[in-house]
Amino acid sequence: MAYSDKVVDHYSNPRNVGTLDKSTTEVGTGLVGAPECGDVMRLQIKVNPETQVIEDAKFKTFGCGSAIASSSLATEWVKGKTVEEALTIKNTDIVKELALPPVKIHCSVLAEDAIRAAIGDWKKKNGVAETAEAAVAAK
Amino acid sequence: MLKTADNAVPVACWSCSVAKTPETLFCQHCSKIQPPLEGDFYSVFNLERKLNLDLAALEREFHRLTRKLHPDNFARATETEQAWSLADTAMVNDAYRTLKDPIRRTEYLLMLEGAQIGEEHSGKNRVDPSRVPADLLEEVFDLNMQLEEMRAARKLGETDAALEADLQTAKIKFDGLMADVDEQLKTQWGVWDQGDEATRKSAMTNMVSLIDRRNYIRNLVRDVNEALGS
Ligand code: FES
Ligand SMILES: [Zn+2]
Repeated sequence: MAYSDKVVDHYSNPRNVGTLDKSTTEVGTGLVGAPECGDVMRLQIKVNPETQVIEDAKFKTFGCGSAIASSSLATEWVKGKTVEEALTIKNTDIVKELALPPVKIHCSVLAEDAIRAAIGDWKKKNGVAETAEAAVAAK
Repeated sequence: MLKTADNAVPVACWSCSVAKTPETLFCQHCSKIQPPLEGDFYSVFNLERKLNLDLAALEREFHRLTRKLHPDNFARATETEQAWSLADTAMVNDAYRTLKDPIRRTEYLLMLEGAQIGEEHSGKNRVDPSRVPADLLEEVFDLNMQLEEMRAARKLGETDAALEADLQTAKIKFDGLMADVDEQLKTQWGVWDQGDEATRKSAMTNMVSLIDRRNYIRNLVRDVNEALGS
């Protein structure tokens, strides 16, 4: 299959590969897998506790080129966003940006799931409720 | 779900006009080749949708059909019949390759029965989170990290004895997990084959999650073997 230029770019030059310290409270970790192919992806975010802005994001993906590109792009996109803003990122945005073919859609789903899982983990760790407002009110 | 054969109306043979059951490649009366099947791979071999198959019988039937479909037999046939024989040959090959392999057979049957499985369904339905075994994911991820470390070390010309030992242990473990999954799948085959509608449904659900699990383990076994083998 021919990958788009953007996929090739992210695949051969992935952004933000790596690991954040899972044990600190500012870091949320999402580990997800695609049962169709058995690929796995870990995406981590580091959130500023004051502003709820995602200051850093790292990923590690064991899977196909599209999954690597999707997660690389996802880390680029979440950086600088608040957690609530990051939650609006949809896999269809990734599909569009990377021009993924239909058989590779699940790879982008994996990236969206990873963002959600990372944010979910961060919220759980920090006792943050559903929305940012609720969390601020609780403090 | 009913098998096609149960509610199929006999059709007339194009050549001799005698009624034949539609799921046969050749007319039982005049033995002329018939238009290609519209049915599934099971109907190619006139089999019920079961998971325990007599593989020796399947192979015999495959060879018998392949012989009957051989191009030499159609040298003097019409162009249409030649085309049909080619289409049938392709179908028989696909059907045999799918049904003889236990995993492909299971996936195929699950797909026939409407399970959301395989590439065609990927991404169309969001992955049901309950389908993802969290502890397995964790393990798969960690082992992948280890594998990568080992590859990196190798590249630098080092061999880390502890790491290699870990991998050996992991290999044994994952081979074992794979064997477990296959064993459990076999059990579900039996449930499916003998089951009524309700037990079949639960067998299907179980098989879908076993196949998921197997996909993760399969990748690992492949990667571990690659790392150890090279
Ligand atoms: S093929 Fe499975 S994540 Fe891309
Ligand atoms: Zn006939």
